[in-house]
Amino acid sequence: MSQLITPVLALLLQAEQPTTRGGVIWQGIQHPDLSKFLVIAALLFIIGVAGVLTRRNIIVIFMSIELILNAANLNFIAFSRYLQDAGYPNAVAGQVFTVFIIVVAAAEAAIGLGIVIALYRNRETIFVDKIDLLKW
Amino acid sequence: MVLSGWAAVFFWVFAVAALVAALLTILARNAVHSALFLISTLVSVAALFILLGAEFIAGVQILVYVGGVMVLFLFVIMLVNVSAEERGHELLFNRPAQVAASAIILALLSLGLIYAIRQGYDGLLKRDQDRITPAVAAAQPPTQPNATRVMRISQDTQRVGGSLYRYGSIPFEVASVLLLVAIVGSVMLARTTKQELAADDVDLELLPELIATEPELAQEIEKLAETQTKL
Repeated sequence: MSQLITPVLALLLQAEQPTTRGGVIWQGIQHPDLSKFLVIAALLFIIGVAGVLTRRNIIVIFMSIELILNAANLNFIAFSRYLQDAGYPNAVAGQVFTVFIIVVAAAEAAIGLGIVIALYRNRETIFVDKIDLLKW
Repeated sequence: MVLSGWAAVFFWVFAVAALVAALLTILARNAVHSALFLISTLVSVAALFILLGAEFIAGVQILVYVGGVMVLFLFVIMLVNVSAEERGHELLFNRPAQVAASAIILALLSLGLIYAIRQGYDGLLKRDQDRITPAVAAAQPPTQPNATRVMRISQDTQRVGGSLYRYGSIPFEVASVLLLVAIVGSVMLARTTKQELAADDVDLELLPELIATEPELAQEIEKLAETQTKL
């Protein structure tokens, strides 16, 4: 185990500063830190927004919203872990928030899918560009 | 917070799996495939939660999302008719101009986000530098084998439960009310006209219109009237 911990410590203590740019990137790949989690969450968020903006099928749009909420959850958990490692061992507020986000997402999915069912019964379509009752 | 060794390998595996499955979710032609890819994404994100030491949230994610919400999605997909989209009769995406506009917005958004993350993370590290270094040295071993070679169970669930009930008990109760409202609301929304009639929940002025669209409703109304006179 110690041979795994030592390079991390060295990295954190800035004892061994990788000089080349490639070396820095390789270090980042070998030791993913908070920023990697944030980038993954940002990409998930962007994929979710892309789904919401481009798809016509309202069910797939709902799934994209779930993706967006998951990206937010990943951010919360990553920051909670970061705070735990930064000297606040009981910093779990991020995880508590995530529980509430999951609850709200479940409620939102139930209501949203109920609306989809009602809409499909009345309009026989689930394509958002055909549901234009309120259009002038 | 730095992962290393096998944790880093698993991080990359699950991160790439989550992103690829998320992309396939919004690109799949068949809505059922979308749902299954979304399940893969959620499971991969749950694995990332485990890597971050949040075992409880990972379990909740799999139980609630994969076990509950996604089953709901699959039911709804099977209730509505999506075969036109599957067979290629319907367009998958919005008009090209709309897609192009959203692509531009998303490119800008991703550039901004990644720039903000880089800048903000450097600042964060600079601020917390003196705090992180001793903390990592001291607190490496939440799940290291101790002298008896038995893995110590992580205390994450205990701490989350404690915080949840100590600092978040009122939001917790409000969340239960929210779920109740969601159940009642979705039952109300998903009723058929017949069920609305049975519950005496239809506006009388709307009745002729409804009967014009669904002729069999007239018999239904007569039947209901009979039972009510009997009572």
